[in-house]
Amino acid sequence: MSSLLFERSSDDRLIAGVCGGIAARLAVDATLVRLVFAILALAGGAGILVYLALWIYARGRRALPAAILFAVASAAILFALGLSGTALLGATLLVAGFVTVLAAGGSLRPGGSVPRLGVVLLVAGAVIFLGRSGASGGFLAPGAVAGALVLVVGPWLWQLTTERTERIRLQERAEVAARIHDSVLQTLALIQRHAGDPVRVSTIARRQERELRRWLYGSGVSDAESLVAALADAAADVEELHGVPVELATAGDTRLDDGTRQLVLAAREAMTNAAKFSGAVEIAVYAEVGADTVSVFVRDRGAGFDRTAVAPDRRGIAESIEGRLKRAGGTATIVTAPGSGTEVELRLPRSKS
Amino acid sequence: MKRRVVLVDDHELFRAGVRGEIAASVDIVGEAGTVAEAVPLIRELDPDVVLLDVHLPDGGGEGVIAGVTQERPAVKFLALSVSDAAEDVIGVIRAGARGYVTKTISGSELEVAIERVAQGDAVFSPRLAGFVLDAFREGEPLGGDAELENLTPREREVLQLIARGYRYKEIATRLHLSIKTVEAHVSSVLRKLQLTSRHELSRWAQERRLV
Repeated sequence: MSSLLFERSSDDRLIAGVCGGIAARLAVDATLVRLVFAILALAGGAGILVYLALWIYARGRRALPAAILFAVASAAILFALGLSGTALLGATLLVAGFVTVLAAGGSLRPGGSVPRLGVVLLVAGAVIFLGRSGASGGFLAPGAVAGALVLVVGPWLWQLTTERTERIRLQERAEVAARIHDSVLQTLALIQRHAGDPVRVSTIARRQERELRRWLYGSGVSDAESLVAALADAAADVEELHGVPVELATAGDTRLDDGTRQLVLAAREAMTNAAKFSGAVEIAVYAEVGADTVSVFVRDRGAGFDRTAVAPDRRGIAESIEGRLKRAGGTATIVTAPGSGTEVELRLPRSKS
Repeated sequence: MKRRVVLVDDHELFRAGVRGEIAASVDIVGEAGTVAEAVPLIRELDPDVVLLDVHLPDGGGEGVIAGVTQERPAVKFLALSVSDAAEDVIGVIRAGARGYVTKTISGSELEVAIERVAQGDAVFSPRLAGFVLDAFREGEPLGGDAELENLTPREREVLQLIARGYRYKEIATRLHLSIKTVEAHVSSVLRKLQLTSRHELSRWAQERRLV
């Protein structure tokens, strides 16, 4: 079967699959081929005859009836053009070009051989058609222009876009591979080495989970500059340093500026305190970006403490949390009592920018 | 009487972990790893609660809910996921799940959540509460049915406390309410989430993807 110029397409067919087959062979869209046949059909029914000829050829490789039909079709085209030397030359060149492309095993797929001779013949044929179509063959002119453009430029454009898509896909694949190597594989190696230490293993696993999740569902580059991303970073650091899980919930997000950076630092300090001193098994952090306030809540169900019993110079709370928020123009409230856990509420007016 | 539970998750390892943690207090009657497996299984077993992964290889948890509710309207779904994508989580809730918890939840908390869902209440994890507050953001009237499109101040307050990590009991104490009232507020939010006009929430989801 491979000795055939083309095979009728069994799945891409409207009538007998001839157009689909040619399209598959040339690696172009079947609609384009059908368009060419439709235009040819206008030329005294030549397109229909050519179609029949190709059908007969493809069915039984009976070259003779096909050739006769071809000849009739050519005559019809020439008749439609008003028989003339240039039209004959143009038609011959077009047919020759077409056959050359097919016969040269011409595939216009990326990387496939491109039969230059065939393309040259097609272009020449189209140009000659164009040159003489001004007077009598008015209806053929647009068809010839479109045909020439489609035949010559179409495949190249198509090839270019496919190559580009392919390249982008390869690039993405490489990025994913690099990312997985740097993160997941390293983490798995770490887990194997620390198999005997469940706390460490679960911390490593959680951190990895966070990173992957942010990469998969985050919004990409700008993430590092957002409040939620910065809080997630802080939470992951605290988890890793102190081995206490931090659950982060958020409503809304905003870009980081000087004020919100201070807010994140204060929240981080609050998480650290909770992890170090409360004895709680989990810390809950909630950030809400409202219309005019950004709020962060850091809560634990741990030991709690008596504010009055803490020395006023303990820098953690006074300086790192309350002082920091005050300087940024916000407020910090600490609600706690021995035995009932601690909640640090940080509120910052949104800067109007 | 033990609650009858079906586990739907494509990770055998995760299913084994959950089984180990809660098998003592609930009756795990079946397990499935895909939408295609889950739908006939749940229809046949008619469990009290289905623990449902948000992401399955052949579609979302939404597909399982859609395939079951017609025939078995009494089956309750509790979504369980590591996914952080708000749209996916909200999608499963809108399809009919009674709650959402993250996979890092402890065994005992999961048992409480299953019991709560089995009784017809809603279970909101802090993360889901944040997503919902984001979707029903204040000062942005969504139009349409005002009662359905907006949360009451009290519902908002309850959700904020859930997001901050408070349990229902702690919320009740803090707001001087009964636990039943807190549960009623959460169920009301769930109802609004499921009934509010699809159009507005999909706009929200769109915006989130663009942020």
